[in-house]
Amino acid sequence: MSKKESNGKLRQIFSASRSEFLVRIPLFLCAFLAFFSVLLIFLFILKESIPAISCLGLRNLFFSTTWRPNVSNPRAGSYGMLAFLSGTLMTTFFAMIIGAPLGIGTAIFIDQVAPPKIREITRRGIELLAGIPSVIIGWFGLTLLVPFLAHITGSSGYGIAPASLVLAIMVLPTITTLGTEGLKAVPAELKEASVAMGATRWQTIYKIIIPAAKESLIVSTILGMGRAIGETMAVQMVIGNARQLAFSPLERTSTLTSRIVTDMGEATSVFRSALYAQALALLILAMCLILLVRFVTRSREVTT
Amino acid sequence: MRPGCFLFSWARRFFKAVIVLSLIVLSLVLFLSGCGVGSSGSSALKGKIKISGSTTLLPIAQEAAIEFSEKNPGVRIEVQGGGSSVGISQLRSRIVQIADSSRGLKGDEDDGTLVDHRIAFDIIVIVVNPDTPFRSISSTKVKDIFTGKIKNWKELGGPEKEIAVVVRDLASGTREIFDEKALGATKVKSVDSAPSAIECASNGVVREIVSSTKGAIGYLSYGYVDKTRVKPVMLNGISPNLENARVGRYPLARYLHMFTQGRPTGVTRNFVDFVLGDEFQKDVVSQEYIPVRLVERKGK
Amino acid sequence: MDERKSDRLATLVFWIFGALTILVLGFIVVQILVRGIATAFKPSFFLGKPEAIKAGGGVLPMIISTLYLVALTMVISLPLSVGAAVYLSEFAKDGLIVKFIRFSLDSLATLPSIVFGLFGMTLFCIYLRWGYCLIAGALTLSILNLPVFLRSTEEALKLVPITYREASMSLGASRWTTTRKVVIPSAMPGIITATILPIGRIMGESAAIIYTTGLFIRNIPLSPVDTAAPLAGYIWYAQSEAMVPDYKSVVDGGAALLLVMVLVVFLLARYLGKRFQNKSHAGK
Repeated sequence: MSKKESNGKLRQIFSASRSEFLVRIPLFLCAFLAFFSVLLIFLFILKESIPAISCLGLRNLFFSTTWRPNVSNPRAGSYGMLAFLSGTLMTTFFAMIIGAPLGIGTAIFIDQVAPPKIREITRRGIELLAGIPSVIIGWFGLTLLVPFLAHITGSSGYGIAPASLVLAIMVLPTITTLGTEGLKAVPAELKEASVAMGATRWQTIYKIIIPAAKESLIVSTILGMGRAIGETMAVQMVIGNARQLAFSPLERTSTLTSRIVTDMGEATSVFRSALYAQALALLILAMCLILLVRFVTRSREVTT
Repeated sequence: MRPGCFLFSWARRFFKAVIVLSLIVLSLVLFLSGCGVGSSGSSALKGKIKISGSTTLLPIAQEAAIEFSEKNPGVRIEVQGGGSSVGISQLRSRIVQIADSSRGLKGDEDDGTLVDHRIAFDIIVIVVNPDTPFRSISSTKVKDIFTGKIKNWKELGGPEKEIAVVVRDLASGTREIFDEKALGATKVKSVDSAPSAIECASNGVVREIVSSTKGAIGYLSYGYVDKTRVKPVMLNGISPNLENARVGRYPLARYLHMFTQGRPTGVTRNFVDFVLGDEFQKDVVSQEYIPVRLVERKGK
Repeated sequence: MDERKSDRLATLVFWIFGALTILVLGFIVVQILVRGIATAFKPSFFLGKPEAIKAGGGVLPMIISTLYLVALTMVISLPLSVGAAVYLSEFAKDGLIVKFIRFSLDSLATLPSIVFGLFGMTLFCIYLRWGYCLIAGALTLSILNLPVFLRSTEEALKLVPITYREASMSLGASRWTTTRKVVIPSAMPGIITATILPIGRIMGESAAIIYTTGLFIRNIPLSPVDTAAPLAGYIWYAQSEAMVPDYKSVVDGGAALLLVMVLVVFLLARYLGKRFQNKSHAGK
């Protein structure tokens, strides 16, 4: 609070200076670039997907599972993306089922359970895991997970299952890092009070810490979902790149991202535009997640 | 003393290190590229060729560009994919000098000015995982399998095993020919190939997946059929070999083309001659396809 | 007694969670390194040119592309993110515009990188007619990484004690002079340390660059407008197209090499971070 006050006072003294006005503008433009980029991205993706929307209509584009492009005569094809949207949601869902408990569990391990040395190692490990390129995790999935799944299930091995496993690995750092930050923010007095009253560590974690950090744990899970929805290369390598609507984890399908990469190479006219419409769907999904985060954190601002 | 001085000096030292490091890297890059320029021999040929078109032909065209510009360092060749249609339309609007195509010209593309150079002959071979007991499949059954009507080998009298259909991506000329000649697709009506099919970007990946997945079926360019890894099957009892394809008994065959705008001139002519030359045909083209002379000589 | 039992059980479960995470990481790292390290450091691979359809290609142009791309991205995004962070933390008043900027930063952080890739391709490569080139990739990655860089810069600026600013201003320096002469220099080591970690991310990024920078080259890129093929994108291309007969060993080697590069960056960031911490403690 004191920092803010003094900042404000100093700002008042100097805001009149003219030379400062001259530096303010470029600095402001740097910051404004963020807003400008988002706007530009949205406009470009929208502009490129308009031909598909106007030619096919929203229903045929977003709510049909028939993806049957025609390369030599794009207008004669069908471009329904529902199967891929469902693929995205299914892989994300299964990835979160594995990744969220593991990630939050690891966060609690780091914050509450691990002795200092192990805590440091785990934290650095998570940091490193966040930095491992997705093509490497994809290659790992393609050469190890797919043959392994093919061996134990008798299917081809490609499909939603390996994609979800790969994604679970990739969302782990996001969830753990943000989760640890949230747990760290829980006031130490709360924990001490709980222990002083004779609660065991598990009771403290379960009854005090998790409820206190609930919102940041939810936010970390939502942002992990964002990562899973947007991941492209690793998924494209293992999901099988089929056009069908999948109903079981062992079936092959595509996600929005993997379909863009699979088909972008030669797509022209409406076909190409339909792929941009998939990017638009991804953009909207991402925006929904951000709004969800805002919604979750807003309620916290009210209570504290 | 200025506040933050200890950090400031540290930052300055770090910056110096970064600058020195980047200078080293830069000089290394310049040195290496200098080597490249220095090694260029004396050759009269100079010029630039732009090529685009079929992804099927992309590796061959890339290899031709590499070998040709090694022999003639004064020539720069840029090769890009984009698909046969893109290549031909770019050639007609003179953005490129050569269009690679995995098919012949279609009605409205043929305005009489484009010259066709057949550079290779290709047979598309249907292959299955070696565990599959079939040696021949009828063309109607092939159609049913690749469109997803037949889903299990049991329906063909084989073992109880799901059929994993492996196809090429939509951009592929091989896919286009296969859809057209084996599945009956036309320009207006595309074929609904099995929705569960695995789409692959290249022959190499199709071969990899068919050889490693039990119950898999796919198709490959002739040069990629490695009998130790995949099992080629006959179509209606006809073997996919050169003789059968040349006389038209085996239907899944096609020429691969390079088109130019009129008779090629200058370096473009040298390049086309190089691609059609015995050395390149024998060393490179034969690795994946059938050298075009082999087909035409026999035909005469 | 029951509670103690459940406490022990829970502790065990959390240990398993932690161990599992580290095991997964360790397994991937060891697998990739064991399979590829021998190929990765063969001179013919490390220093060779890639092949289009023959076996025995190398990845030197791809390594150079990656380093070049990282350098360009840093050159573009460091000034931008320092500028933006300075504005947000030293100049801006909390208002609607700042709220918009914050929201935009959150959006940029959440958007899938493939969306950035398509955007970069449409704007730079097609609309501006630059074609596939390094600068298009670097600009795309600069936008992609803006939130990360900005956050690290802001953290570093926050660490500069308010007393420094007050001291400088009480001597009659303007806000900008204070920022330029006192705040940024004191924050610089922190900024650099914090921005090294994202370099690993730039190195590994593939979805945003395959449509902006290029996938396959044989000559070392020299100017920023040359087509390039960063290693991560090339690994994907090599496994997806599988044009060369030895593509598996190329991908294994490339993956190991990329992982080593990322590890070096990671360790460098750790080392600098520790040094910075020690220094600032010693200074105080």
